Amino acid sequence: MSIEKARKRYLPMSETMFYILFSLKQERHGYAIMQRVKELTKGRITLGAGTVYSSLGKLENDGLIQAAREEERRKIYIITPLGSQILHEESKRITELYSNVKESL
Amino acid sequence: MSNKKTIFFSAFRYLLPSDYENWLERMAVDGWLIDRFRQWSSIVMTFRRADPGKYRFVYDPQVSPREEYIDTYKQFGWEYLGRMASAHMWRMKYEGERPEAFSDQDSIIKRNKRTIAAVSVSFTIFLVTVLVMGALLLVYNNSLSAPDRTQIIIAEGLFGVIMLALGTVMLFLRKNETH
Repeated sequence: MSIEKARKRYLPMSETMFYILFSLKQERHGYAIMQRVKELTKGRITLGAGTVYSSLGKLENDGLIQAAREEERRKIYIITPLGSQILHEESKRITELYSNVKESL
Repeated sequence: MSNKKTIFFSAFRYLLPSDYENWLERMAVDGWLIDRFRQWSSIVMTFRRADPGKYRFVYDPQVSPREEYIDTYKQFGWEYLGRMASAHMWRMKYEGERPEAFSDQDSIIKRNKRTIAAVSVSFTIFLVTVLVMGALLLVYNNSLSAPDRTQIIIAEGLFGVIMLALGTVMLFLRKNETH
């Protein structure tokens, strides 16, 4: 998928997608992604199996993540350069959002 | 007291996936548990008497799931109960917080859209059948014998009723796709 198409499809990004993509800066399988996101959000977000499965499928099809290897029948994923670029742009967008409103909070 | 309970047309009584899941959960709380789903479970299913317990059931339509589908759910602690048409059925016994397989609104809507798509396929098949039979009746009306014509009209009516029922289900699901 081209960067333009990926921008159109993923920006702005849902919180679920953002955290899944972010947690794949390191190789992880589905369950480990859920654990990492739970840890990052201090238990606020517990991703479900169906949500993780469908999100990984979508991200892999669009080339934002790729399968790194398989371990004990578990597919392990890692973010791609396209995924990193989209994650970076989304982070910039959220930072801008925050800096624009923080003084009035 | 019987240790088995047979329920007919369960999937037609609880059209929304979430309603279906909640009904299975209430059955488990009442001490009726289902261990296996098969192709025809939407028509007839048998529960067994069990200790009342809290079970979360999940209805997940997936026509052609990827290889890792089953393992992903199992890693999260879900028990696979089988497949009912295109819907895969899961359960998890729980205490305290109710587990969710679809943890955000986007995933719930997508799951419901997959259910609508599955009903749409059946609706389209019946719609095409009704249209083809109607066209044949018009074209060959004069060459058909009276009993043949009657049989085709009855079949046309029957398929038409099923098609309308499926259409109504589709509209209902569309209206409630955020549930």
